[in-house]
Amino acid sequence: MSAEELRIVLFTVEMAALATALILVPGVAAAFLLARYRGPGKGALDTALSLPLVLPPTVVGFFLLELLGRNRPVGGWLAERGIEIVFTWKAVVLATAVMAFPLLVRSARTAFEEVDPRLVGLARTLGAGPVAAFFRVALPLAWRGVLAGVVLAFSRALGEFGATILVAGNIPGRTQTLALAIFHDVQIGRDDRAVGLAAVTVGLAFVALWTTEWIVRRRVRRDEQ
Amino acid sequence: MPTLWLATGLASTTLVAALAHPLPAAADRRPELLVFAAASLTDALGEIGAGFEARTGMRVLFSFAGSNALARQIQAGAPADVFVSANLDRMDELEKGGLVRPQDRVDLLSNRLAVVVAACSKLAMSRPQDLERAHRLALGDPEAVPAGIYARRWLEAVGLWGVLRERVVPTLDVRAALAAVESGAADVGIVYRTDAMTSRRVRVTLEVPPDEAPPIVYPAAVLASSKTSEAREFLDYLQSAEARAVFTRLGFEPLDETQAR
Amino acid sequence: MTTPLVEIDLSLDLAAFELRVKTQLASGVTAVMGPSGAGKTSLLEAIAGLRRRTRGRLAIGGEALLDQARGIALPPERRRVGYVPQDAGLFPHLSVLDNVRFGARADATAVEAAIDTLEIRPLVGRVPRSLSGGERQRVALARALATRPRLLLLDEPLAALDPGLRERILPWLLRVRDAWALPCLYVTHNVGEALAVASHLVVLQDGRVEAEGEPRSLLSAPAVVGEAEAGIENLLPGRVVAHDTAGGITRVRTNTGSDVSITLAVDRPVGAAVTLAVRSEDVLVCAALVEGLSARNVYPARVAALERTGPDVVVRGVLENGGGELLARVTPAAVAALDLAPERKVWLAMKSHSIRIV
Repeated sequence: MSAEELRIVLFTVEMAALATALILVPGVAAAFLLARYRGPGKGALDTALSLPLVLPPTVVGFFLLELLGRNRPVGGWLAERGIEIVFTWKAVVLATAVMAFPLLVRSARTAFEEVDPRLVGLARTLGAGPVAAFFRVALPLAWRGVLAGVVLAFSRALGEFGATILVAGNIPGRTQTLALAIFHDVQIGRDDRAVGLAAVTVGLAFVALWTTEWIVRRRVRRDEQ
Repeated sequence: MPTLWLATGLASTTLVAALAHPLPAAADRRPELLVFAAASLTDALGEIGAGFEARTGMRVLFSFAGSNALARQIQAGAPADVFVSANLDRMDELEKGGLVRPQDRVDLLSNRLAVVVAACSKLAMSRPQDLERAHRLALGDPEAVPAGIYARRWLEAVGLWGVLRERVVPTLDVRAALAAVESGAADVGIVYRTDAMTSRRVRVTLEVPPDEAPPIVYPAAVLASSKTSEAREFLDYLQSAEARAVFTRLGFEPLDETQAR
Repeated sequence: MTTPLVEIDLSLDLAAFELRVKTQLASGVTAVMGPSGAGKTSLLEAIAGLRRRTRGRLAIGGEALLDQARGIALPPERRRVGYVPQDAGLFPHLSVLDNVRFGARADATAVEAAIDTLEIRPLVGRVPRSLSGGERQRVALARALATRPRLLLLDEPLAALDPGLRERILPWLLRVRDAWALPCLYVTHNVGEALAVASHLVVLQDGRVEAEGEPRSLLSAPAVVGEAEAGIENLLPGRVVAHDTAGGITRVRTNTGSDVSITLAVDRPVGAAVTLAVRSEDVLVCAALVEGLSARNVYPARVAALERTGPDVVVRGVLENGGGELLARVTPAAVAALDLAPERKVWLAMKSHSIRIV
């Protein structure tokens, strides 16, 4: 692998990790609240949060661009304060984060739904506040699903393309991730490099998923003893 | 519990490792210049950029794509310093939008269109009408990509567009059209003469005479939003004898100051 | 009833009806009975603070945990109310010790005391999954006690256990009641349990307090007991007077002066106070004194009342010489065959084996 290719790989992993870190807290919180919330509008809220899962990524990218473009309200406001997002690495993080968010939420929410809500209530009667009850009971009981969601989100972030290319462009050295580089290489007929980068992508996804499997399997074995 | 700690540890190690690796903006300590340029300039600007880097100690990053896509990104706020377009329309749009100041732009180059086929292809064309033998014709998107728009105007001028438009394979930029012919995805393509010269896997079967096609002009400009003072220096360097020698060698026709608007 | 420690005046909308309970608890155990769906568990959850839409007032020792009028509604973690649900609700990811130590307020002394009271020290290293039902209940009880609660809520702590196990867990409950001197709400379906542990009884029906009072008097009214879905039991408090090891019997003199023979129970020393329980269907009604009956305990009595409960008839017999009351459940056919009617003289018989010590 050339230095340039290595840089693309590192950059991609870094962007995916940042995106995952960015959605970790809000994603797990949203998952927990969705699992517990029973009030009106639950269905609509569920659906809205899952939309990026089914929308064409280009639609998500388009919305983000409309929101954050320099001559758009939010983007303009940020630009006046010297914060540039579109077509920078921040846009890569943002686009991949938005696309990965529902995967984390879905997986974590299912895990939280499987936790008996009465156990959380019991923790409260034993003196744990809502936050402590979450960290001492709900999260430890749901962590497998949460971890699976984190890895899924990370893997999705590694491979995000459609939203990223619209909001972040395909600027080598600035915003070019593996998926974008592969696209570009195929476009200009640089197939040999595309093959190498594709292989790396497959490898990364495999390692991420296999790691989760391994941790979960270990856990199950230990529980069965 | 140990497993939980292990998992947490693993996750945080990954995160810390990722964060510790310097962000791309800081990966190289040299000051950076971001140049958006038409895909057809990939080879020429790559070489000229290296020359500029050696001379100034700066780092020049290029984003090569269809001029239309790059202009769109600039309008949305892409932080480019210099833009080299393959047609005047896109640059005019930016100027109208206040993103380029008139005094910061120059007309840099001219180019010619060429009809290409795969190097091993038996297709031979001596006049435009021979294009009717093409099954699939790769063009930069004739709605948006400059090379495609030039090609369409030429085909319209010679009265072939009506026949050929159904066989067009539109691509995102001119280099993708070239790649489509290289890979055999299309049997014929219309690209710039300079693109054809970069590839050993295609051959030019018909050069489009300059008088049949609309004039091709590559304007270059420093963007108004650029905060890099060296952007102007780069624009000047593009017009230097050193750069003109590279352009000429690769088949471009540098425009004289007198020819500039 | 002594000074009220716990004031309850709560209402809560449930799916089928409104739960509306107003009562006061003294220290000691208050049993809560009533048919399934009467709102018993909801009442406990409302008191624990787990039902956010609860209205009204709840105070322990004069301190309000909930006072809608004054805008007070303490979250569960600040109520200091210990709650043991029916299935124990142990945290599956924590060891027994970590479960008991879970409470934020749990100090080492309270943890140790709870572990000792419920004798779960041999279990502390185990995980809940590996415990038996009775062990789980003991751990859950210890976990609640370790937080030094001001009120203990027990939701059918014995219901999930088989009858044999019940009798082995009951002593732990009595021990907690006596050693920790806590006011305690004890939901149960079982009259024997209620009588064994409770000094006060609240009967719930469709979310309302249907009856309230001293358990023994309340539970001998078959109407109430019938609604409580429980088998009617006779409870006979008394003292052990002798053991006949060779004969395999222990003799108990009830507080009303009757002698009762039960199967040998040498673990209860002579003089020890015991409460005997006999299910009403295990009491035989005889129209005449039968000679040569294997039943050891035969008492002349007078029929005081006949009450229809479901398909059966409960015969209320008053023993002669002030020997107290016994309830016998018989079929309407038996009533006809024996020509049972108020004031009729009968003999009531109980086999030693059908009498339990509660």
